[in-house]
Amino acid sequence: MAHVIAIPKPRARAAPGALVRVLTYTATRLVALFLTVVVGVYLTIIVANMGGYVDVIKKAAIREQVGFQTFFDPAMRRLPVEQRQARIEELIRIEEQTLGLDRPFLLRTVVYLQDALTLRLGFAERMTSDTGSRLVKNVILDRLPSTLLLFATSQLFLFFISVIWALSLSRRYGSFMDKLVVGLAPTSAPPAWFYGIFLILIFSAVLRVLPFGGMVQAPPPESKLAYALSVMRHMILPMSALFLSTIFLAVYSWRTFFLIFSSEDYVEVAKAKGLSSGAIERRYILRPTLPTIVTTFALGLIGAWTGAIVLETVFNWPGLGRALFQAVGLFDTPVIVGSTIIFAYLLAITVFVLDIVYVLIDPRVKVGFEGRA
Amino acid sequence: MTSNGLLSVKDLRLYFRTLKGPVQAVDGVDLTLRGGRTVVVVGESGCGKTSLGRAILRLLPRNVQKYTGQIWLNGLDMMSLSDEQFRKEIRWVRLAMVPQAAMNSLNPVVRVGDQVAEPLLIHGRASSLEEAQKSAAEVFNQVGVPIDFLDRYPFELSGGMRQRVALAMALVTQPDLIILDEPTSALDVLTQANIMNVLKTIKKELGMSFILITHDIATSSELADDAAVMYAGQVVETSRADQFFREPLHPYSRLLMASVPTLHEDKALGFIPGHPPSLINPPKGCRFADRCPSRFDKCSEEPPLFTVEGDRLVKCWLYA
Amino acid sequence: MNRALRELLAYPSAVAGLGIIVLLLAMSVYAVATIPYHEAIRLWRGGEALWADNPRNASPVWVNLLPGRDLPHTIVVRSGQALSIEKPIGGGVRQFSMSLGFDYPYRKFPKELAVFLDPEFTDRAPNVSLFWRPPDGTEIRLTELTVRRSDVYRISSDVRLQQELGGRPEAVLLGDPNAPEQPLRGRHELLIRGYLFEEGSRVEPKLIVYGEVHGLAGTDHQRRDLIIPLLWGAPIAMAFGLLAAVGSTLSSVAIAAIGVWYGRWVDGLIQRITEVNLILPTLPILIMIGTLYSRSIWVILGVVVLLGIFGSGIKTFRALFLQVKEAPYIEAARAYGVSNLRAVFQYMIPRAVPVLVPQFVTFIPAFVFLEASLAVLGLGDPVLPTWGKVIEDAHSRGALFTGQYYWVLEPAVLLMLSGLGFTMLGFALDRVFNPRLREVS
Repeated sequence: MAHVIAIPKPRARAAPGALVRVLTYTATRLVALFLTVVVGVYLTIIVANMGGYVDVIKKAAIREQVGFQTFFDPAMRRLPVEQRQARIEELIRIEEQTLGLDRPFLLRTVVYLQDALTLRLGFAERMTSDTGSRLVKNVILDRLPSTLLLFATSQLFLFFISVIWALSLSRRYGSFMDKLVVGLAPTSAPPAWFYGIFLILIFSAVLRVLPFGGMVQAPPPESKLAYALSVMRHMILPMSALFLSTIFLAVYSWRTFFLIFSSEDYVEVAKAKGLSSGAIERRYILRPTLPTIVTTFALGLIGAWTGAIVLETVFNWPGLGRALFQAVGLFDTPVIVGSTIIFAYLLAITVFVLDIVYVLIDPRVKVGFEGRA
Repeated sequence: MTSNGLLSVKDLRLYFRTLKGPVQAVDGVDLTLRGGRTVVVVGESGCGKTSLGRAILRLLPRNVQKYTGQIWLNGLDMMSLSDEQFRKEIRWVRLAMVPQAAMNSLNPVVRVGDQVAEPLLIHGRASSLEEAQKSAAEVFNQVGVPIDFLDRYPFELSGGMRQRVALAMALVTQPDLIILDEPTSALDVLTQANIMNVLKTIKKELGMSFILITHDIATSSELADDAAVMYAGQVVETSRADQFFREPLHPYSRLLMASVPTLHEDKALGFIPGHPPSLINPPKGCRFADRCPSRFDKCSEEPPLFTVEGDRLVKCWLYA
Repeated sequence: MNRALRELLAYPSAVAGLGIIVLLLAMSVYAVATIPYHEAIRLWRGGEALWADNPRNASPVWVNLLPGRDLPHTIVVRSGQALSIEKPIGGGVRQFSMSLGFDYPYRKFPKELAVFLDPEFTDRAPNVSLFWRPPDGTEIRLTELTVRRSDVYRISSDVRLQQELGGRPEAVLLGDPNAPEQPLRGRHELLIRGYLFEEGSRVEPKLIVYGEVHGLAGTDHQRRDLIIPLLWGAPIAMAFGLLAAVGSTLSSVAIAAIGVWYGRWVDGLIQRITEVNLILPTLPILIMIGTLYSRSIWVILGVVVLLGIFGSGIKTFRALFLQVKEAPYIEAARAYGVSNLRAVFQYMIPRAVPVLVPQFVTFIPAFVFLEASLAVLGLGDPVLPTWGKVIEDAHSRGALFTGQYYWVLEPAVLLMLSGLGFTMLGFALDRVFNPRLREVS
């Protein structure tokens, strides 16, 4: 055999081809997801409107708007009451016609769909945002950051701890700690808010070391540092509730997963090659299973979003979930419907991020399925 | 490039713990191999030959119960080394493997070139990635894999290619000894022949020593210098390959060879009735006695290895 | 089947889980047997009149077992035990005097005092004056009133009396003058003196000295014995969980099998529906339905099943069926022309059982908690006594702040037990049915 070797530059294939493929894939997924969101939101609207409620919301918004306009119109003010009323009704009728509220149901739902997709969610009936705005969009988006803060922090925390702990457990199969975790896995049956109640009972009611709820102490402290510390202190119990209700199942699942995957042949080969256990864990167990781990994590995240509702209610955390709860109590339909739609968006974004991450870590996607045996 | 790959295995035992009792997979095996030669270890499924390979490589499962014996590699007492010493000094440096069904032996998310280059970097044989990849390219040449496959992922390769890559991976650190476990059983006949040719070439050009574990006697005959037959966790016969293929001594070996079709003879194929004994609580005495056509009274006692014709060993009372 | 059972019982978690489930079943049977459905609803929704004899927000009696707790029980003194003296004073009018006496042995004051007057008359209602006589013999005038039918005089809520006495009536009336913080031990009496204006007129008074403990489970803000929702919560939770799990899992399996079998656009359609379903937020939609349409548990059950069919379970089943479809025996069946229906239901679906059973059992608690979540948010079934409803009552009335821990803990513990029971069983089933997991755990 000739030993003349022409060695090309190692990554010659990687750059342009891969980038194009990644972008194409992302674009495709984005379009597909968008269509999914459209269908999902449309279904939500149909459900909401079957009782005719979205129409009611719209008509109320119109009435309010017209009333507002006429109030500031000097010409209108000079008119006698009955004439003004007639004029108002006339304006309302015109508005309704413009917005097609006198058109058939299906057409209207398409209009609502457009509104929902552009986040024109109408006016809240009773709730207001922090800035005093009555726009449902503002009411909801105002509270979204608090939810994100609590959730993003908790989920990231959970993810890293569960994966690391699971790796360590898979090394120590059959040990006491291992058996303990397996035994405790069923503790993930109750949702987070459930543990929240117990935690409040123990730490706030009986021991009095942590606050009952809320995001920051009242009145909020002046300095930024004290404010941040207060927020962190208030985050302890809800985060613990989220943590406790998921950790043991998560660690159990990953650990079982790692154990199954560590019996794969290529892991044996890696060991035979003389890789240290750390290197084996990183490159031969973690890397191949990462797509599945991320998928499961994202699905868990999706479940957790809607769990936020009751959790925030229990802890009086000023986020999207509690907003929804308040809206229920106040029977503020526009906020209820708007929140549902926002939740749908949150889920869609989570799925999208999952897809992106998938693209980045699964070579089969990067390389584009060519040359499959 | 080669050293005297002298391997000496004495009384190697590997038992696993299971719910039903300890499985005595490798039960007192003796084996020797001189440098530059290939020994083929044949036997039925479940006879313990894969476990033998694992035992030599110290790839122990989680439920190992007993791992004793002596393994000498080029004068080095391997059993006395700690796990860490074994990892640094023996693994892949002196002992490498090509596992069964190479499809699964490659990490699916790492490029094959990187995987082949990896052992060089771990064991400090290359000081940079480029250097390691150069060696990887060389060894790709030797096994007949095109260079541009260095950047591919395993799923982009055919079965035969993956097998060659696995072989390349084993060669890259120029070990003293390579253990191949069923290197061709998952491949079609043409690819089998190809791989065998590659192995023959490497053996000739590099003077590499192999332990070839297989149940496929026919294809292994081209490569083998020595043969060892395993049955129920024990080695029942060892001899030079030509002697073995011409005239096997142990009744089990005879029946094995009788069941292999030959091209030029019109032979009625034999088969061995019954099935091998369980490795949990193996029977006392000669383990093949139940199925042996030549059994007699003495066989209820376990026979030692008898020397026949100077350098052949047979574990059978017929040769006492 | 038997072998599977024996394997299952080898796991202590499975035994524990089964034990809990059996306990819950027993509770359900007991609940339905002793308090039939309509009776339970009647009691739960009956209003104060039904529960008037119970103290409000009372702790369970076993609380007294805790150290340092000596909460009084409720004492009911009926007219049957009373001494009644009647004296006609002419004109068909009778003057009467009754005394309802009782011994007060507790070290803490009662929660409330109330007198239930149950008069019988045709046209002219009797007229009574009420007095209180503590053991020291003094008489304190309480009030005078003309009795209407089923009248209740709540001594403790009488603001005028409170002002007169200078403190809470139950504390002052039963208090020891020398040590006002403590009740006076001995015989207290309620004296009822009045006039009966008709021949058949009668007054049947009942004095209730409300304690702070009641029953095995305590009472809630509407004086309802909590044992009712606690007991009845079991069959409701189990029924909801089981029905939802059965409905969604079986449907998932069937649809996944059909999708895989028919392939191409059918499979594609199912995939798209699953993706849309992934984005539909379950709880918010249930909230929408609960507020805008109906909170009836049947409607909620239906929607939950509908949303659950195309959930995560269907992906698992699809992956399984994709493998099964390639199996040789399926190929053989196709070769001899098996009908599609038969292929799906008799050949493919049975292969899903090892995955179906554990998944089904593990899903049950998810549904139970979903129903509880809705209840906690105030959207539970308006009629049914469920555990979630009790938690909601407790939470909205600040039970954790006021120290009424039992109110929250009792339903919470029961919910927790149900969740744990089914989950433990489900995990063990998973290990039994899926050997790959078994050899590892």
